[in-house]
Amino acid sequence: MRTWKTLMASAALAAMVGSAALAQNAAVDLPPITEFPREQTLIVHNPDNPAANPDFFNIWVAGAGQVQAGGLHQLMMDTLWYIDPNEGLDGSLYSSLAEDQWEYNDDFTEMTVRLREGLYWSDGVEFTADDVVYTVETLKSNPAFGAAAGLNRNVESVEAIDDYTVVFHLNEPNSRFHSTFTVRWNATWIMPRHIFEQSEDPTANAFNPPVGLGPYTLHSYDPNGAWYVWEKREDWERTSLAQYGEPGPQYIIYRSIPNVDNRLIEMVNGNLDMIHDLTPEAMFSLVDQDENARGWFPGFPYAHPDPTLPSIIFNNQNELFEDRRVRWALALMLDARQISMASYRGAATLSPIAIPPTGTHLADYHQPLQDWLIDYELDTGSSVINPYDPDIGLQVAEMVRPQFGDAVPTDETEIRQAFGYGWWAQNLEAAGELLEDAGFTRQGNDWYTPDGERFGFTLKTAETGVINRFGTMAAQQWSQAGVAVTAEVDPVIFGTTLNLGDFEAITSWTIESWGGDPDLSFFLDSWHSEFIVEPGERQPARNFQRFEHPELDRIIDELRVTEFGTQENLELGYDFVRLMVDEMPIIPMMSYNVFAAYSEQYWTGFPDAVERPYANPVTNWANSRYIFTQLEPAQ
Amino acid sequence: MRDYFTFVLKRLLQLAAVVFAGISAAFFITHLSPISPVDMIVNRVAAQSGGDPLAIQDLRDALAALFGTDLPLHEKFLNFWGRFLVGDLGPSLLAFPTPAIDLVMRALPWTVGLLVTSILLSWTIGNILGGLGGYYQNNRFLKAFGVLAMGVQPIPYYIVAFLLVLLFGYFWPVMPISGGFSINVRPGFTFEFIASVIHHSILPAASLVIVGLGISFLGMRAMVSNIVTEDYVTYAELAGVRTERVVFFYVIRNAMVPQLTGLAMALGGIFSGTIITEQVFAYPGLGSLLVNAVNAGDTTLVLAVSSIAVIAVAGAIFVIDLIHPLLDPRVKVK
Repeated sequence: MRTWKTLMASAALAAMVGSAALAQNAAVDLPPITEFPREQTLIVHNPDNPAANPDFFNIWVAGAGQVQAGGLHQLMMDTLWYIDPNEGLDGSLYSSLAEDQWEYNDDFTEMTVRLREGLYWSDGVEFTADDVVYTVETLKSNPAFGAAAGLNRNVESVEAIDDYTVVFHLNEPNSRFHSTFTVRWNATWIMPRHIFEQSEDPTANAFNPPVGLGPYTLHSYDPNGAWYVWEKREDWERTSLAQYGEPGPQYIIYRSIPNVDNRLIEMVNGNLDMIHDLTPEAMFSLVDQDENARGWFPGFPYAHPDPTLPSIIFNNQNELFEDRRVRWALALMLDARQISMASYRGAATLSPIAIPPTGTHLADYHQPLQDWLIDYELDTGSSVINPYDPDIGLQVAEMVRPQFGDAVPTDETEIRQAFGYGWWAQNLEAAGELLEDAGFTRQGNDWYTPDGERFGFTLKTAETGVINRFGTMAAQQWSQAGVAVTAEVDPVIFGTTLNLGDFEAITSWTIESWGGDPDLSFFLDSWHSEFIVEPGERQPARNFQRFEHPELDRIIDELRVTEFGTQENLELGYDFVRLMVDEMPIIPMMSYNVFAAYSEQYWTGFPDAVERPYANPVTNWANSRYIFTQLEPAQ
Repeated sequence: MRDYFTFVLKRLLQLAAVVFAGISAAFFITHLSPISPVDMIVNRVAAQSGGDPLAIQDLRDALAALFGTDLPLHEKFLNFWGRFLVGDLGPSLLAFPTPAIDLVMRALPWTVGLLVTSILLSWTIGNILGGLGGYYQNNRFLKAFGVLAMGVQPIPYYIVAFLLVLLFGYFWPVMPISGGFSINVRPGFTFEFIASVIHHSILPAASLVIVGLGISFLGMRAMVSNIVTEDYVTYAELAGVRTERVVFFYVIRNAMVPQLTGLAMALGGIFSGTIITEQVFAYPGLGSLLVNAVNAGDTTLVLAVSSIAVIAVAGAIFVIDLIHPLLDPRVKVK
């Protein structure tokens, strides 16, 4: 019996140790709890995992930004400009802390910024040019800050001419330097000088509680990092966002919910107003089960196309893909309709050109280039064909209509906006002609290279999700067409495989754009041949296809001295699209569609594709802050 | 007594060797990972901005120098042990510059609280019922429980957990399905907070108990079924020893030894967390921390978690080894 007692005693002791530890963990100093009235509270899903260091709000330290998407950069941070991936409230380009657009001198070696007056930090101190100067100088001085390298490369010095004017003196001409302070997802945020100048090592300052220029302040947070509660500032009118009206919610709660099913259940139960992303299947069941749930598109395919372009990326340094005829042949072997069905259950937005089919790009690029695409001729060596099928999007819509019925749009423009305009028609005959022209031979259904080797390669793809399904389907279609392609999952695509060029072909993306502006510098500048490394060496972002072409360099060189928003800039964009179609160094497939959902049970005024395309509904973008000014309680 | 002392000393040396080997193995395995923490961070910074390629390269070099990831492996190994022996596990690379041990200590109480409770519950109830089920083989309730346990036990854990979420979070939404406690409760030694913690732990704990119960029940019942046929049990029964005494002291005590080892190992295993439970119920704890650390290539944090796990498992086995001779007279210290 004594043994038994000992055991029970140990059990009790262990439980006590557990709870004591728990209590210690709970000893976090939080402001007094108030109730959160549901009609004044917006609950938002944060797609990041719970922050491992929830007390560390110093967003400037590289890699430490775990709280970033938990409301910190959406609600408290601010910087000079924002560019929206969609149409914006008043145009896609917002002047935020800056009063107007950037001004460069003639040779782009100086950028002058006029700051907005009357803005205050959340602790009541006025925001001035000194904060901007301090931010740049502090970030430059310590390599542990994520922005240090970029600022050191670009900025020779920065000075405050007066309280509201800052001049940046650049090391070299750079017509896109403003992008450092232009939010597209995020950017370099301005630091409160009066807080950071008190710490000896600004990288070690936990910045808790954070002091910001946004309209909310930190109310309380989970010591385990799973949720953050933000409260509207009484003086929200003294922030840059106020020009778009008062943010609706008094409280905004960001919650990490790693499990997709739980997100769906929480929204149905009324415990979540905005979801960052679901799987296609979860989205379809959410709108089926919750009459208040909506997606970006009012009907199928619901998802918001992100300005990111999943593609098949060839390693252009691999001799297998040296010949453009081979790359084109591989493109013509694919059936985009099947890929759309396999990856997104039909809810993909296809793009035959190297521009994401989203935001204002449809009006700037996809629509105007339709005639050019329809007339585009490809010489296969034996015949000349028009490879483009302008109605693939319509065909996919018809394929999903039996299952989703009325949810699928019937208006042609809406269908094209949601499913894409067209894509290359699968044409195995033309693909064969191209390969034969390139010296390949066919035995039975199998293709052989000019060296007599079996034509085949490995297609690396993501471990799970839509990109994995896309890769698997592409590999299957190539195999059916006689090319021995094996799909192989790769857990370290970003940061490792892509950079090292450790692939023959891969499903990923090297094109991400502003979304709300036709300017392509966001990704294209890094595609210049000056950055291409030798095989085996680490390629810095983003020309992971390692493609080089004199025409590409010409476009980039000219883009570097072209202003944002000019016709010349757009024409260079068209040149880029045409070159990419001619050369096919990657096979562009579709936009990265995010199944973001929102519920109108407690709040209305969210953005959507048809009536109010003013913002990206994806919750972790800092740009999503504009949504909060449009929300009103549902009655 | 001297024999026992020598025995303890020998076991102690063994413990030190196991801990050293275990942690060293963890070190090398962790460093085999193709994921570089520097590249993960650089990639995150680069993917979210238009940053120019040369600046990205500069950032990469700066972080590699800061994290010491460019050092040769043997140097890193020596550095690691040098720091480890003075109790410094280094800064987490996933949440730089926060010390890795801080992250572990934040997650640990939740894991310990949840797992100690559910393991002890399922172990105690499972063993008592299993012991009785093995002895009273004709009892209808125990027989029915046996059938139930056999039916539930093979169901994969994640299915059980998911069913609980669906049943009590969706069809009959009476239980919270995410988080460790309610958002509008302030942490502290208050009734509201403790009640909220318990409320939030019911589903995750239930999922672990449902699955764990079957294992100890079936194991114990099988062992007891063998022991009841032993001569000394029959002899005790014939000699008129009271039934409860026979059950608890002649049968269950003898069957207990392997179960106790199992308990110790289960308790030691707590320190690697319960990844699936934490993911399904969005429950705080070490499991998710470990997974995030692995995915981010945060070698320091992975090593901090695994070092604690190695020490805990080895320590638990050490303690069991020490008390075995006291519990079971058949085990000699020599």
